[in-house]
Amino acid sequence: MAGEEPVVYVVDDDEAARAAIQSLLHSVGLRAETFGAAQEFLASYRPDAPACLVLDVRLPAVSGLDFPRDLAARNAAIPIIFITGHGDIPMSVEAMKAGAFEFLTKPFRGQVLLDAIHKAIESDRAGRHERSKVAELRQRLGTLTPREREVMQFVVSGLLNKQIASELGASERTVKIHRGQVMRKMQAGSLPDLVRMAEKLGVPARKY
Amino acid sequence: MQARDELESKVRERTAELRQANEQLQAEIAERIRAEEIVQKTQVDLAHAARVTTLGELAASIAHEVNQPLMAVVINGDACLEWLARAQPDPQEAREAVGRIIAEGNRAGEIIRRIRALFKNSPLQKAPVRVNELIHDIVALTQRELARNGVSLRIELDAALPAVFGDRVQLQQVILNLVVNAIEAMSGASGQPRELRIRSERDGGGVLVSVGDTGAGLPLGPPERIFDAFFSTKRDGLGMGLSISRTIIEAHRGKLWATNTGDGAVLQLRLPIHQEVV
Repeated sequence: MAGEEPVVYVVDDDEAARAAIQSLLHSVGLRAETFGAAQEFLASYRPDAPACLVLDVRLPAVSGLDFPRDLAARNAAIPIIFITGHGDIPMSVEAMKAGAFEFLTKPFRGQVLLDAIHKAIESDRAGRHERSKVAELRQRLGTLTPREREVMQFVVSGLLNKQIASELGASERTVKIHRGQVMRKMQAGSLPDLVRMAEKLGVPARKY
Repeated sequence: MQARDELESKVRERTAELRQANEQLQAEIAERIRAEEIVQKTQVDLAHAARVTTLGELAASIAHEVNQPLMAVVINGDACLEWLARAQPDPQEAREAVGRIIAEGNRAGEIIRRIRALFKNSPLQKAPVRVNELIHDIVALTQRELARNGVSLRIELDAALPAVFGDRVQLQQVILNLVVNAIEAMSGASGQPRELRIRSERDGGGVLVSVGDTGAGLPLGPPERIFDAFFSTKRDGLGMGLSISRTIIEAHRGKLWATNTGDGAVLQLRLPIHQEVV
């Protein structure tokens, strides 16, 4: 896939902290983009590569802890590593609740930050992979006819063809054809495969 | 002959009385000087205590202020090691990282110097003082506190301001008090823009410093009340800050007063210009 080079975004209002982190990231071959304010980051963030965000909690204008909520509102699922000068427990709890991936108290060693960054990027990569898989499944689901969708709901609920036929008032043969179409269109190799897909897509099992 | 003896004895008597009165006077003067010294020392101690209290309130901010360069030092150090450990070591990048370490070490040292200057409990030492320098130091120390409270700073200093004569630490304390009070006055207000306005200018034979805020304004009642000891609008305030500030300014033959502005309050102090001894 193109654009796979990960990006580390750094938001800190202290210029010296930005310069230090940027140099550290470059030294290990990581791409870094630094910003003095959360708004600047929001303006230039492009969610097309695996990434993570290193965020100073005590930012002026936007409180660092409100920021994850703003991000979530924009559907930007980027892992956030909080860094702070006062790491008190209530604040770290608050940060974790706000969706922090990691919480580091200044000063910390470079390796600690790098480890957290690598883990966060890995998690973002996995998350993106998962999200793109779901998107693809959703596309497949979109190709089903309303009738096929109905049959799929019964199938993943564990009903036999005969039972589905009686539920729908159709012949067992017709149900079998629909079922074949569902398996083909969804590219499911087996029934458990289809059940897993339905789970990922949030297709509800049909109660009978 | 007898008359002469009488006169001599009388003179001796009066001389003894005079000597005694003189000794008494000397003792009284010494006592008064001692009392004055005690008063002055008490004032200095009180001012110091108030200063330490104010700095205590700022402790979290100041800790952060020192932590910031420390963190940059550590990260730059690690970056430097990384640049040198690469298959193709990059001495230029490593050198730049070390340069930043030195700069940040100096920054931390500068912060410590400012704090130490305020914590010092020294007897009054009067000397020519540049008010703008005091303001710069206080602004640097309270920057975090301003950011934390979402307060923007508007600062207008007269670059050609003449020096005043006084005790640097105490005058700095007054400015610190005024700035901290202004920030606190605004931290409660919501909705309106928070702006701290610091201004220095020449005012006839004096120097005028104004510290204004966009807070709730002075409390109801006569404005002079805020300078009373133990008067406080803060929940856990001692009510000593402004009272001590005024004592300090008056001891410098200056004036400190408060006025309401359209959108907040302003505290102003006027100090006489230092007359060079020719």
